[in-house]
Parts: sequence; structure tokens; C-alpha cells
Amino acid sequence: MITFGEFLHSYFLWRDPMLVGAAAGAICGLLGVYVVLRRIIFVSAALTQVSSFGVALTFYIEGLGLGALSAAVHPFALSIGLTVAAAVFFALKKDYSRISREGIIGFGFLVASAAVVILGDRITKGSHDIASILFGSAVVVAPEDVYIIPSIAIAVGAILLIYMKDFVFVSFDEESARLFKYPVRALNAGLMVMIAVVAAAATRALGALPVFAFLALPPLAALYFTERLKLVFILSAAMGVLSAVLGYFFSFVLSLPTGASMAMCACVFFIAGLSWREVRKRV
Amino acid sequence: MKKLIRLKDVTIGYDGKAILGPVELTIRRGEFTGILGPNGGGKSTLLKTMLGLVPPVSGSVDREQDIVFGYVPQNGHFDPLFPVSVEEVVSMGRYARAPAGRTLSKADRECVARSMEMAGVSRLARRTFRSLSGGEKQRTLIARAVAGEPDALVLDEPTAAVDVRGEAAIMELVESIRKESGAAVIMVSHFLRTAAKYAERIILVDADKGVFREGAKPELMTSGVLADFFGFNFESDLDPQTTGPGGGGA
Repeated sequence: MITFGEFLHSYFLWRDPMLVGAAAGAICGLLGVYVVLRRIIFVSAALTQVSSFGVALTFYIEGLGLGALSAAVHPFALSIGLTVAAAVFFALKKDYSRISREGIIGFGFLVASAAVVILGDRITKGSHDIASILFGSAVVVAPEDVYIIPSIAIAVGAILLIYMKDFVFVSFDEESARLFKYPVRALNAGLMVMIAVVAAAATRALGALPVFAFLALPPLAALYFTERLKLVFILSAAMGVLSAVLGYFFSFVLSLPTGASMAMCACVFFIAGLSWREVRKRV
Repeated sequence: MKKLIRLKDVTIGYDGKAILGPVELTIRRGEFTGILGPNGGGKSTLLKTMLGLVPPVSGSVDREQDIVFGYVPQNGHFDPLFPVSVEEVVSMGRYARAPAGRTLSKADRECVARSMEMAGVSRLARRTFRSLSGGEKQRTLIARAVAGEPDALVLDEPTAAVDVRGEAAIMELVESIRKESGAAVIMVSHFLRTAAKYAERIILVDADKGVFREGAKPELMTSGVLADFFGFNFESDLDPQTTGPGGGGA
């Protein structure tokens, strides 16, 4: 076990991954409020798996040794492309001919998960990377992620802030929004694309497990803590940041797998929120 | 009176499948129209076709240019998971005049405050919408509808989840809004007595039987027409919720 002093002295090791984790935690926490309120938690799970599949597919294509084609496929671009395509499909296609929307999303989740495992089995060179992507066991992040993830977080955060009234309106009462000639399809698709971009970028940097946890647990906890919508957004983003930072800290000092440690911290916030609600009900 | 909505030779339905038609109908400014019929009879589909939420299978729906609707959906339309306050819900009514990307102005907020005052929900402004009683929710939704300064107030079973006293209060509120603002009122209701008291024009809809009748209240709210439409007698009372067999409401 590492002492707190040793941890502080090792700042050059944890500074970048913690910054990336905090940025991902904040923006996942914000977007996650819409994920939870729209009851599409399973969509975020499916998207993180599709994103993992995109990265695994890139490793696989690289392993095929197809020369220029393999070199041309950028892991991030392929992952983001597949995830955005899946998100737009989930957002716009609501009628699946007698099959529920949840059924199709479940199908997408299972296909992507199975494909990642199958591809992982075929990639000996990148098997460790596949495990990192799935469970977020990597303790370091790629240098470009230090710029990519915070930039995406700032851009998505700005869009969410500018169009907050509109995203809340469309999520709460889509019928009235259509009646008022709001661009409902564009807003729905935009929200899903933002979830996809954030999920794809954050999954590649941190792993599918913590990203799914950040999208679901901080917003759920925030909804237990407060009944004010604006405060739900603030609390959720704050708990996303704290889950990432504390998760990385405990991972560092206790030598725990990073992604699991971050997800566990998010679980602690959820349990705290649930307990708070139960206590408040009894008082 | 000026025409707000006109349905010409319209067939209504979902996904291209016709359920009722042809429908000829005109909604005029300031007029109170009640839409009555059995459950699953196509009342809400007709209403949504008028609003433009459901496209007609055939025919044309003409609406006054830039018409603003104040819409009160059915009880249970909203997800109780949403922690939105009464003030936030009423503010949404103002979005009819504040397009996407634009925040509400001071004048918008004053209008929201006036609407809450008029509907008697100012004291509930900071309460969460989900924590309200059925009557309080309806008052909030009516305040939301009024906040948009609508040309037509559209109510889909507005008194379905309230008690008798609440029903009377809500209907008096709707009537006072109509008189004050000159907005048309289009109301889907299960309660014949309510429709008989407030509506000037009546629409009887039953897609199963292929029935669509539209006319002035004295013409359609007779025991003979209603007995023929609903299939049982209305000799002592117009309200099938209290006197009719099997609750076979409108």
C-alpha cells in the first residue's frame, strides 16, 4: 500500500489519468441525467459495448496485416463512427415491428459484447488492451486523451447548457414540443450523438465499465439527494468527478483495478443517495 | 367567428391505417367544442389529427397560420421520475413563443407568474409536479397551457383524475379563461354532464361503429341521439358515469 505522501509525490504519474477521468466523470454525470430520466440506461450500456467493439475491431484489422488499410483505420474514428451510428439508430427508430425498443437495444448490447470477446480471442497481441477497454484496468491514458476528453467534455457541456431548456422540454413532454414546432428529432438525435461521442471517447480512455457506471449511478444518486432538477445536474456532475478521482486514488494507493475502483466509488454514491432518501422518508 | 382549424374530407388513423372517416369539421375562435365517445373510439386520434400530432390518412387539415395551442394532455402522460417544479412546468407553456435555443425573457417570466396566479397554483410554484394531487396537476397544466397565450385551449380528459368538487373548479377555470382570452376550447371528456353544461358544439365519435357526428349542443345532446349513440337510455341523467350501465362512458 502506498502512503498519501507517496501518492502526492507521484503526481506526474496520476495527473493525466485523473484529469481525463474527472473530465469524463463530469460530462457523463451531466449526460447521465438525461439517460436516467429518459429511462435509456440500457442504451448507454449498449453504446459503451459498441464502442468497445469498435476498438477491438481496429485491433483485429491491424492484426490482419493489410498494410495501408490497417494503418488507415484509426481506433478512435472507427469506435466513434460505430457508436454514433448505433446511437442514431436507437434514437430515430422507435418501431421495430412487434419487437420492443428494449429488445433491440438488448440485442445490440449482446451482439457487441459477444463480438468483443470473440475478437479479443483472435487478437493475441492486443488481448491486454481488450481487457483494459472492457474493464478499465489501464492506469495510464494515451497522451492525446489528455486533450481529447476535456475538449469533448467542454464542447458537450456548452451545448447542454445552451440548449438545456430544450433538452429538458423534449425529454419531459415530447408531444408538446412537437406541437410547439420544436426540432424534436434533431434534439433527440443530438442528445444521442453526444452520448455516443462521450461514451466512445471515454470508453477508449477509461474502459466500458467505469463509463457505464458514470452514466448511470451519479444521476440516480443525485435524484435521490434532491428534487430540484438544476441541482440534480450539478450534483450528478460533481459525483461523476468524485467517482473518477477517488476511484483512481484508491486504485493507486491500494493497487486495485482502476476501472472497477471508479465504478465502485460511483456505487458508494448511489448507496449513499438511496440511504439518504430512506432516512428522509422516515424523519 | 374566425375559423381556426378545418378538416376537409379527412380520414383519421395511425400508420396509414384508417379508423374513421370522412370527417368534415370546423373549429372557430372562442367556441367551446366537446368531443365525446367510447374508450378506444378515436377521440384522442381525432384531437391529435386536429393538432397536427398525427397526420391524416387522407384529406386535408387547415390550421390558421401561426396558431398557438395550449395543450393539456391526459393524466398519466408525464413520467413521475422527472423532478420538475410547478414553475418549471408552467414555464414550458411559454416555450410556444420561445423557440429552441432562446431563453425566457423577463416578459415571459411575468406571463408565467400571471398564469400561475390565474390558475391558483402560485403557492405551489416550488413544489415538484409529481408530488401534486390530481386536481393540482390539472390546474398546473392549465396554467401551462394559458402561459403560451393560446388561440385554442386543448384538453384531453382534463377532469378524469379529480373528484366532483375539483372537476367543477377546473371547468369553471377553463370557462373563465375562454371568456377572458377568447380562445377556442376543444375538450375530450368522458363526462356528458360536463359537456352538456359547457360545450357549445358537440362531436360524437365512435370509430368501431364508424360514427362521426358534429353539431350544436341542442341538436346532439338529446336523450334520443345519445341513447342511439351509446346504446342505453339517458332518461333521468345525462352522465353515464353515474347512471349508465357498466360505466360505459363517453
